[in-house]
Amino acid sequence: MLQYLFKRLWHTVYVIIGISVISFFFIHLSGDPVMLMLPGDASHQEIEDLRQQLGFNDPIYVQYLRFAWQALRGEFGQSLYYKIPAMQLILERLPASLELAAAAMLIALVVAVPIGIISAVRRGSLLDMGSMFGALFGLSMPHFWLGIMLIMIFSVRLGWLPTSGRGTLAHLIMPSVALGLSLMAMFARLTRSVMLEVLSLDYIRTARSKGLKERIVVSKHAFKNALIPLVTVAGMQFGFLLGGTVIIETVFAWPGVGRLVVQAIFNRDYPLVQAVVLVLAVIFVAVNFIVDMLYMYLDPQISYFEDK
Amino acid sequence: MNQQAAAKTSIFEVITPRLRFLGETLGEVARRPSALMGGIMITAILLTSVCFPLFYPVDPLEQDLLARFTPPAWQEGGSWVYPLGADNLGRDVLARLLYGSRVSLLVGFAAVLVAELAGIFLGLFSGYYGGKLDSLIMRVADIFMAYPFMLLTISVIAVLGTSIFNLILVLGLSDWVTYARTIRGSVLSLKEKEFVEASRAIGTPHRVIIFRHILPNVISPLLVLGTLRVANIIIWESGLSFLGMGVPPPMPTWGRMLAEGRLYITDAWWLVTLPGLAIMLTILSINLLGDGLRDALDPRLRNI
Amino acid sequence: MKKWSFFTLAGFICLALAGAPAAVAASDTLVVMQEAEPVGLDLMQSSIQTTMSVCYNIHDTLFHPQEDASVLPALAEKWEKIDDLTWKITLRKDAVFHNGEPVNAAAVKFSYDRANNDALKNPHRGKLSAFTELKVIDDYTFTIKTEQPYAPGLYMLGYYLPIVPPKYIQEVGDSKYNTDPIGSGPYRLKKWVRGEEIVLEAFDKYYGPQPAYKNLIFKASPEEASRIAALLTGEAQVISGIPVHQRKKIQDSGKAYLTPQMGVMPYIGINTYEAPFDDVRIRQAINYAIDKELINKALFDGQAIICAGPISPRTFGASPNLKPYPYDPDKSRALLKEAGHPDGIQARLAYPTYMSQIQEQAEAIAANMGKAGINVTLEPFERAVMWERYKGKKHQLYIYWWDDAPEPDRYMYSLFNSKSRDYYYKNPTVDELLDKGRTIMDRTERAKVYARIDELLYQDAPWAFLYVVPEVFGVANDVDYQGRRDGFLNMRYAKPKM
Repeated sequence: MLQYLFKRLWHTVYVIIGISVISFFFIHLSGDPVMLMLPGDASHQEIEDLRQQLGFNDPIYVQYLRFAWQALRGEFGQSLYYKIPAMQLILERLPASLELAAAAMLIALVVAVPIGIISAVRRGSLLDMGSMFGALFGLSMPHFWLGIMLIMIFSVRLGWLPTSGRGTLAHLIMPSVALGLSLMAMFARLTRSVMLEVLSLDYIRTARSKGLKERIVVSKHAFKNALIPLVTVAGMQFGFLLGGTVIIETVFAWPGVGRLVVQAIFNRDYPLVQAVVLVLAVIFVAVNFIVDMLYMYLDPQISYFEDK
Repeated sequence: MNQQAAAKTSIFEVITPRLRFLGETLGEVARRPSALMGGIMITAILLTSVCFPLFYPVDPLEQDLLARFTPPAWQEGGSWVYPLGADNLGRDVLARLLYGSRVSLLVGFAAVLVAELAGIFLGLFSGYYGGKLDSLIMRVADIFMAYPFMLLTISVIAVLGTSIFNLILVLGLSDWVTYARTIRGSVLSLKEKEFVEASRAIGTPHRVIIFRHILPNVISPLLVLGTLRVANIIIWESGLSFLGMGVPPPMPTWGRMLAEGRLYITDAWWLVTLPGLAIMLTILSINLLGDGLRDALDPRLRNI
Repeated sequence: MKKWSFFTLAGFICLALAGAPAAVAASDTLVVMQEAEPVGLDLMQSSIQTTMSVCYNIHDTLFHPQEDASVLPALAEKWEKIDDLTWKITLRKDAVFHNGEPVNAAAVKFSYDRANNDALKNPHRGKLSAFTELKVIDDYTFTIKTEQPYAPGLYMLGYYLPIVPPKYIQEVGDSKYNTDPIGSGPYRLKKWVRGEEIVLEAFDKYYGPQPAYKNLIFKASPEEASRIAALLTGEAQVISGIPVHQRKKIQDSGKAYLTPQMGVMPYIGINTYEAPFDDVRIRQAINYAIDKELINKALFDGQAIICAGPISPRTFGASPNLKPYPYDPDKSRALLKEAGHPDGIQARLAYPTYMSQIQEQAEAIAANMGKAGINVTLEPFERAVMWERYKGKKHQLYIYWWDDAPEPDRYMYSLFNSKSRDYYYKNPTVDELLDKGRTIMDRTERAKVYARIDELLYQDAPWAFLYVVPEVFGVANDVDYQGRRDGFLNMRYAKPKM
């Protein structure tokens, strides 16, 4: 068990290092921010001086090592565009992105799981077929298009909700629905298929034959088993959520990290891009780690259950 | 000479059962109404995308500034000259949608092809040779998986520049991991089987074993996966176009039509609704078909 | 089915929330919404329009520049010309910074030195390059010298030399000053919640008239639809960045009105060093190929002002003898043929994606040029890359813009003098005339020089001249605010409408 833990930790470390190396090289290959930092009238000498001062003339592996060394100490440098520490910018914007991702996940789970369970229980009914078709629809919709359509209908035409920005609950609804819809569809289908599998297992039949009420059979025994794949997939989809916020934040002018990093890439803001990519990677890997631990926790418990 | 004859025979032996398999699969798909509908829809879309100039030869780039924002034909102010309306430069929306379909479908299928090829190679070698190579490839895979997809693609396009070729390359090479892992899994289970050991015993080179004996047996799950991934890739491509990193103007793409139309949602709803509907219908049909394929192939997968 | 149940649920939530009011501004609070959030609040560290707008509420300068390029006193009380090269300026005695420091000659000298400090990389430094020396005479008097007579001197000081507090900056440093500035303007910074809003409050010890609005809040939204919605619902009272096709809607709404502000003057720069664009006939052909009238009618509702030469018709010194290049694709073709290209030419047109309505302008112009035999490949770039390539001389044709300030030296010098930019064009005669133009004090004589520059450049066509699109601010009906040609949201001039 401990060995597994260490193995996973090592995995975490090399993934983060790998990601930082890749993003470092990409953003450096994409061009020179020095020209962008100086006004139009800057002379060639001034450009060279600044380049030297910021260390861009050093060979690229030296620049990377410098970055890595500082990163380990928690210093991610200053954003070239905003002129304040990159970490500060990220910490300011991160709660907004997490809020969006969490809301999307919550909406998705709260709506999808009950639908999935009911569809499985009433397999073949109109409800089942209808919701599964609806789920397929949800999966097929590009989330940013859904966002734009929601704005068009609920803000522009009906005036019920604000068009963009963050602030009240009203601001949160549309972006999290847009982001969460495809998740919702996926969870509904997943829950249904897992429940179907579990409901046909032997020990469920045993429970039924014992005369236990159907509702207890479904919720206590069957659903517990469905939790595992659900949790695993939810964890995996967290990565999708983080990536999905990039476009949704642009559509809704949501002050989160996704929009920050897209602008940073456009502005060739090296330190900021590096810092954001690293932070997102750490979050992703941490969530995966937690999911794995959760999996290990849930798994022995279920097998235990089965013996009973 | 004997080897050549043996080689020829084995190719034949490989192809025929595959064709039969294909026929059976299609039959299974046809039996499911939703999958059949999906198949018909996507075929219709593909055919339209290729053949439309024959029956709708309108130039998507032709501007008519005075016809800006003409609404679709059925609305007040619309005309059948612009069946689905005109955009902010007076260009025909229907023509742009049709041309845009080519970009989306081309990028979708091509990128999946690139991803599959990369995934197949890496997965095959990783699973077959095992050891250090396997470790290395799987670690690289982990890193790719953890890198937020959108950021990866945006960063690379920022380096390489926007063009259809770059787009296909980037989308393809960012997505290889799922294919590689699936193939690797199948290869690992096959590696221990008798016929592989027998081939090794008689001295067949590795290359032959990999490509002629193992590959044909592991390729089925990839068909399903690939089909479903086309849908994803089309969404990502329109997302990139939306951010301005897709195919450069004036070639119409659905994603860019959405981005440009967004500026006018208060006055010209059709500029945003129609491209999105086009994307959705395409993806829906692919998903329907993909689902059917998966149902059809699943039982068979267990036999292999 | 689940979709419907979800939307019903959403519907109920929406109805419930509709009852909850959005932040309603008190009547002594003014909410302004721009396209982008300021990056910092130090005028000496940013040249972005939206940033500078907020800064001018916090920082005061020596003069208030006027719409006709003259100046009124601000921190400076009186001034006189000692000789052709020197001004002697006396400060008012009652001005203080928000932290109580006095605004004195020492502060002016500190500000001047800071503006020219190499380490700070002040983007406006070039605009102050005509000044050579600032000498303190006594506590409230100083002289400032230029190398040659400099007509726009006081106007430039009025914009580009904000007076900053020496003690405070020495204490906190430049980086902190950028996020927590102290100035001598009518508003002080109360708080800045990055990503959401900047809150300013009126400075009670301000030397000038107290602004009518005690609280001033700056917000930002990059979506024009949201800005307009905010204006119409009362969430914001002043907005900027209103594309032409949305203007009528605001005027018809009965809730807000439009007030003109800066004019955006897009132009197509041509790389005159690269063949075939080194041939003036080709460049003129490009000018004849663009149907500016039609573009104006379709894209700008006829509100744009067509330009003849590089000097905007609204700028002092534009030549009265020039007429805009007419739309004449046949003449284009003839010129191309004459220059040795009967089958037309290929051209790359680069443009930055952040400019308003740029995509449609670029595509319309490209289509025009195509009809005249100039085959255009469009190259959109984001702001940063565009600028980098521009300075790297990589463009063939490019679209950029400037604002048509009333003072011609403001943009003509920066754009055409080879000491400032020579990436794509160099003309020694024009250089001489530009240097001369800024030294002549007499307005009539000055106008003649600039007219000559206008005519020379019109003939030589280093640009394809386009038009000026007057930008507007949207203002709520209960606020009285006139936009100014500099386009800065200086809200000290706003007051409630009775």
